[in-house]
Amino acid sequence: MSELVACKCTNCGFVNYPKHDRCLNCRAREFEEITPSGEATLITYSEVCTLPWGIDERCRMLGIVQFENKVKAMGRLRVDKPRLGMRLKPSWEPVRVIGGEEVLGLTLRRAK
Amino acid sequence: MDMEIEALLRPPARTMAPYPAKVITLATGKRMVVREVDRKDVPTLLKAVRPTLKIPRDYYDIVGARLFAELLGWYRYRVRDHYCIVGQVDGYLVGIVNGRMYTGEIGMSYHTLAIERGLRIGAHLFAAKMEHHLEHLAQEEVWITAESPIGFRRWMIEYGLELKEGLQHELGGAGFYSLTKDIWNRAKPRLCVGDRPVPKELMAKAQAAIKIADEDTIMEQILGAKRRQLK
Amino acid sequence: MRKVAIIGVGMIPFGRRDEDSLVDMLSYAALNAMDDAGVGERPIDAVYVGNMGAGLFNHQSAVASALVDRLNLFPAAADTVENGPASGGSAIKNGVLAVASGHSDLVLVAGGEKMREVIGPRATDIVATMTHPQAEYIYGATLPTMAGLFTRLYMKECGVTSEHLARVAIKNHRNGLLNPYAHIHALITMEGILKSPHAVVNNPIVADPIRLYDCCPVSDGAAACLLCPAEMVGEFGKPAIVVAGFGQATDTHTLQEREDPTDLKAVRIAAQKALEMAQLKPKDIDVAELHDAFTILEIAESEHAGFFKKGAGAKALDEGQTEIGGKLPINPSGGLKARGHPLGATGVAQVVELVWQLRGEAGERQVKGAEKGFSLNFGGFGNNVVSFVLRRE
Repeated sequence: MSELVACKCTNCGFVNYPKHDRCLNCRAREFEEITPSGEATLITYSEVCTLPWGIDERCRMLGIVQFENKVKAMGRLRVDKPRLGMRLKPSWEPVRVIGGEEVLGLTLRRAK
Repeated sequence: MDMEIEALLRPPARTMAPYPAKVITLATGKRMVVREVDRKDVPTLLKAVRPTLKIPRDYYDIVGARLFAELLGWYRYRVRDHYCIVGQVDGYLVGIVNGRMYTGEIGMSYHTLAIERGLRIGAHLFAAKMEHHLEHLAQEEVWITAESPIGFRRWMIEYGLELKEGLQHELGGAGFYSLTKDIWNRAKPRLCVGDRPVPKELMAKAQAAIKIADEDTIMEQILGAKRRQLK
Repeated sequence: MRKVAIIGVGMIPFGRRDEDSLVDMLSYAALNAMDDAGVGERPIDAVYVGNMGAGLFNHQSAVASALVDRLNLFPAAADTVENGPASGGSAIKNGVLAVASGHSDLVLVAGGEKMREVIGPRATDIVATMTHPQAEYIYGATLPTMAGLFTRLYMKECGVTSEHLARVAIKNHRNGLLNPYAHIHALITMEGILKSPHAVVNNPIVADPIRLYDCCPVSDGAAACLLCPAEMVGEFGKPAIVVAGFGQATDTHTLQEREDPTDLKAVRIAAQKALEMAQLKPKDIDVAELHDAFTILEIAESEHAGFFKKGAGAKALDEGQTEIGGKLPINPSGGLKARGHPLGATGVAQVVELVWQLRGEAGERQVKGAEKGFSLNFGGFGNNVVSFVLRRE
């Protein structure tokens, strides 16, 4: 599913996302590119009802999740009643139009 | 007046159900009486609308000029099946909304003018207007258009209105939207509030006189700019 | 390093200022500060202007050069300092360093922003450009979004409730009413914004769990101050208010990368540095101006700056400790919540307020006997924080 590429430090194993040129944990510069794997756990979320110009929706739900391989990322939640700690299934879908172009992003739905 | 010609020009009026007054507690804790006003109140209302003609910001001038004409038209029997609802705090006029019955089933929303800003008065009064069309005038839908980007965000996005294709709103302009009963029922719990009946004393105060702030105060309230420089 | 003093301060009322350009506002605030100091015709060596978004809000750049030109301060050195909503704090820090190093004697710092030139959703989008372009912005994340994500966790872990948040808003609106420079002059009530069933419309959700009255308004405005070496203070007519300490610290761009997202590390470090430099403890501070762009931040910053233990900020608020007249008055100016938050102006306006407080010139909102003041200017969502400790000498 993934267009989301995280950087796993080859020195200490810390997973960096978004990209850093020096590891957030040990400052090493060598990374292995990894994609999120498995389901994600919801760390926090917010239903945003004052969206910026260019998003003509009343509200959208955004959240921060952690995947099984430690990748942490923000994504759009497609869940009716979220709760902290719930398990989510990722997909890569259009999230915004910027400069006339559709931009894809992490989208999360309730895992079965 | 040539009553024969006047009779031709003066449209027959439909009997319209009244809007039952309600009271809303604002963020300030003050209570706003929301009530329908009568044709005879129009000259008073116009005093509050007139200063807005000088305010291009947020299209207040266009909204003010058109509302002025609509109210005047109603007053002098040139706009048919029209109603006007106002908000009053301590007797003072803080906002005006108006519209009319286009047909028995279709309501035509005209304008929303908040004279005091920052307290969601426009949002409360717009909701009252929708409530009037769908619940008291018992119509099926309300046609709505917006002249300002703020209006577009407030009404079209916040209510999730349906775009109507191939028809024309009476106010002209851009494409327009419709509030159906279904959309209303979904939006109502988060957008329409108020208690009925209005306590007698509060209602008596509102009815005693529609007080209008002076022009400088109205300009200051709408523009929110302090035009003096403090040292 | 030379000790640095603030010898003049000035502001203009924040709010919607349709009739003024950004440079108009900066110029008025700067003139007020220059007149306050009584600098007369003395040359100003350097000018620092804090501004976040003139390029996006006003289609203007090189604002510091424009201000020098407007005020005929030639040939003063001039720099525009951009550090998001902490631009004002950073501009002062640069001015302090210029004087402390001995490079400049008389330095003008101004901060300003003209945000109401664009409509609300556009302003929201412009402010959101400080989020991470790929990891946050594309999702429609805004600063209120970050506050919502943070607040949910903070409520869960630190015992903060919606009522506490409303109480911050009510307190700061009440203080703002005493500040003629504040954008918002309106008392709000718990009934009106939370308890009444009508509050659902009065105070709608902006980014759950934060509501409209948990957010600062979008404002135009400017503030300015004049700095000089402490030994020169006698040449001007004002009491000596010195910059006893300052600190700045950064944290990760995104919230998700923080090991504990409720830990405002940059706030902790910046505050600690400022207090250490001033050789003071949090308990020594008499008045604080914190960056309450969102009500949760006043509580969280009051804890991270060390005034209260983590989880005790809400209780201190409940007990009235942060009221004017309380043990540690926070945001007697009304804070960003009521004074307004013209991004680049805020850090400077906080320092201006502290100078008025320490001089005893704060009128009805005066904190009695205030001698030591603390400010905290919060950039991004806590990824770049600037703090000052001022002292009356």
